[in-house]
Amino acid sequence: MEKAINRQRVLLDHLRPSSSSSHNYESSLSASACLAGDSAAYHRTSVYGDDVVIVAAYRTPLCKSKRGGFKDTHADDLLAPVLKAVIEKTNLNPSEVGDIVVGTVLAPGSQRASECRMAAFYAGFPETVPIRTVNRQCSSGLQAVADVAAAIKAGFYDIGIGAGLESMTSNPMAWDGDVNPKVKAFEQAQNCLLPMGVTSENVAHRFGVTRQEQDQAAVESHRKAAAATASGKFKNEIIPVATKVYFIHCFLSKRNSSQVTDGAGAVLLMKKKCGNATFAAVGVDPAIMGIGPAVAIPAAVKAAGLELADIDLFEINEAFASQFVYCRKKLELDPEKINVNGGAMAIGHPLGATGARCVATLLHEMKRRGRDCRFGVVSMCIGTGMGAAAVFERGDAADDLCNARRV
Amino acid sequence: MPIFKTPFNGYSVKFSPFYESRLAVATAQNFGILGNGRVHVLALPPSPSLPLSELVAFDTADGVYDLAWSESHDSLLVAAVADGSVKLFDTALPPTQNPLRSLQEHTREVHSVDYNPTRRDSFITSSWDDTIKLWTLDRPASIRTFKEHAYCVYSAAWNPRHTDVFASASGDCTVRIWDVREPGSTMIIPGHDFEILSCDWNKYDDCLIATASVDKSIRVWDVRSYRAPIAVLNGHGYAVRKVKFSPHHRNLMVSCSYDMTVCMWDFMVEDALVGRYDHHTEFAVGLDMSVLVEGLLASTGWDELVYVWQHGTDPRAS
Repeated sequence: MEKAINRQRVLLDHLRPSSSSSHNYESSLSASACLAGDSAAYHRTSVYGDDVVIVAAYRTPLCKSKRGGFKDTHADDLLAPVLKAVIEKTNLNPSEVGDIVVGTVLAPGSQRASECRMAAFYAGFPETVPIRTVNRQCSSGLQAVADVAAAIKAGFYDIGIGAGLESMTSNPMAWDGDVNPKVKAFEQAQNCLLPMGVTSENVAHRFGVTRQEQDQAAVESHRKAAAATASGKFKNEIIPVATKVYFIHCFLSKRNSSQVTDGAGAVLLMKKKCGNATFAAVGVDPAIMGIGPAVAIPAAVKAAGLELADIDLFEINEAFASQFVYCRKKLELDPEKINVNGGAMAIGHPLGATGARCVATLLHEMKRRGRDCRFGVVSMCIGTGMGAAAVFERGDAADDLCNARRV
Repeated sequence: MPIFKTPFNGYSVKFSPFYESRLAVATAQNFGILGNGRVHVLALPPSPSLPLSELVAFDTADGVYDLAWSESHDSLLVAAVADGSVKLFDTALPPTQNPLRSLQEHTREVHSVDYNPTRRDSFITSSWDDTIKLWTLDRPASIRTFKEHAYCVYSAAWNPRHTDVFASASGDCTVRIWDVREPGSTMIIPGHDFEILSCDWNKYDDCLIATASVDKSIRVWDVRSYRAPIAVLNGHGYAVRKVKFSPHHRNLMVSCSYDMTVCMWDFMVEDALVGRYDHHTEFAVGLDMSVLVEGLLASTGWDELVYVWQHGTDPRAS
């Protein structure tokens, strides 16, 4: 330690010479004690060779359902391009993928699972690569990524793809058949049936989120998304999709809630050195399901051994301005760190794809920001009363365990 | 322009005197304060839009502050290590057979190493233990130790013409000229009022020497009349870390500084600053000009990047 302190002193003397003679040295520099303290953000992570890393993340453009660019696009035609992209851009042999998990919400289960299988064939995957779906409502895309990471850690396979897919044009939100009369005896079960907009109003009323705050959040989301699109920030993460329309345009709506959207995203994970993620899913009151992130984010951050202040960037799904504003205020987060390129209110919320889409947007932005941006969080609320969140860490702040030989 | 990202913080970069597309980089973990070190041997790509590629890398137990290519063997490297050792590496051998030798004599950090370009069989190392040591490749121990400086010796450089003469720059604010045949230093130049971090001889005029100092200036001296400098070059915002005369032009030199820039100077001209490169985002501490390719520059810094570019072009252009 003595050596380190000495070296530091020698270097400091180059910048602020402590000359004994009274020479004129204009130095606007002064040394200060390290303010990091014991903060986890400054500790390097030791990494074991079998940790899981995210290698690539891409998404399609997101378009307004029923009227937007993808209104005539089959769901499997949305998924196939992103699956193909994660393989082509990483030069991976598709037969090496151990499993593909696709988060998807509204479509009938078996049919959507078949559509995903077909999409994998369109994308050039051999029949030997399996595929399945997962449904935890709005967090399905994020859950897919978490499931693949967990399976790799469990040793089921080394390489997997977590993806998300939703075509709200093909499958609008709806309830098939009648409702079990039993729900009348269970308030929480009954609240699972509340329209999402009603839960949003509940959050606004119960926690005092004003209309003005909601509109302000919506304006910010649109502004940031427009700026990000104009400056080309999304061009690295978006995969073009060939459709009947000649161009795909990001529709911006004038509302303070996310628009129903069509889109897909995919994230490639593999077992290798460096990189880390933790995931947490929590349950909350279905009547105010929007508070999900306010509970899930602290849980995931704590599970990662960090504090909220250590997180450099957030992607919090803007299902509704009311719940988004509430979560931001409740956790006392710095707005400058949240949804910096706009959020669902501007970009859209294709239910099952949102998780994967947010991961792609978050990781590309973290890469742009460089080493200063070490930890990122993706989180969303989930209809029927849940929240999910995952913490991601940059790879280059982790050291492979190594002992340089003493010669 | 080709770049390379090192996992550790860059400290020194040197072009190979044998192969125009080869260079070596000395790096140290955690800014050289604590941790391991690594020497990378890199190759320039066939096209400038491609990155540098790594041929081989050697790990060390402490940071590597400087390195020098041998002038006698095209695959030999000498590394100055922060734990006081001087290590010989052979790039033709695999990392498991390296280092060839570890010379442990300096009692503090070895800050620089310079290989004799004319005699080709010997090299000098300078250390924070206030001494300079003379070595040859074949001997396991140093031939001589030069002990006169009162503080860290940051840099020692052989005269390009006179095989037995070298200069040393020290934190005691002096530059000393030595002749290995003489018992002590032959000249003491109180060059600056603050620490002198680097010195280099002019390649065309063997009496001219440049010094770089914590006082943010570079001074050019004629050793025949060293009372006053020939030129004082101001322009860096913080201490100047390294200075190097051009192998192709008598009046040109480059410098790198804690102000994160690399500057090119013509010391014979009134407005001496002829180029400034601000590609580094942390302290720029390593710098070299290729002897084999005119105008080719390399720099490295604490931002973990190595840049190789042609003078007059943008190092960051792809």
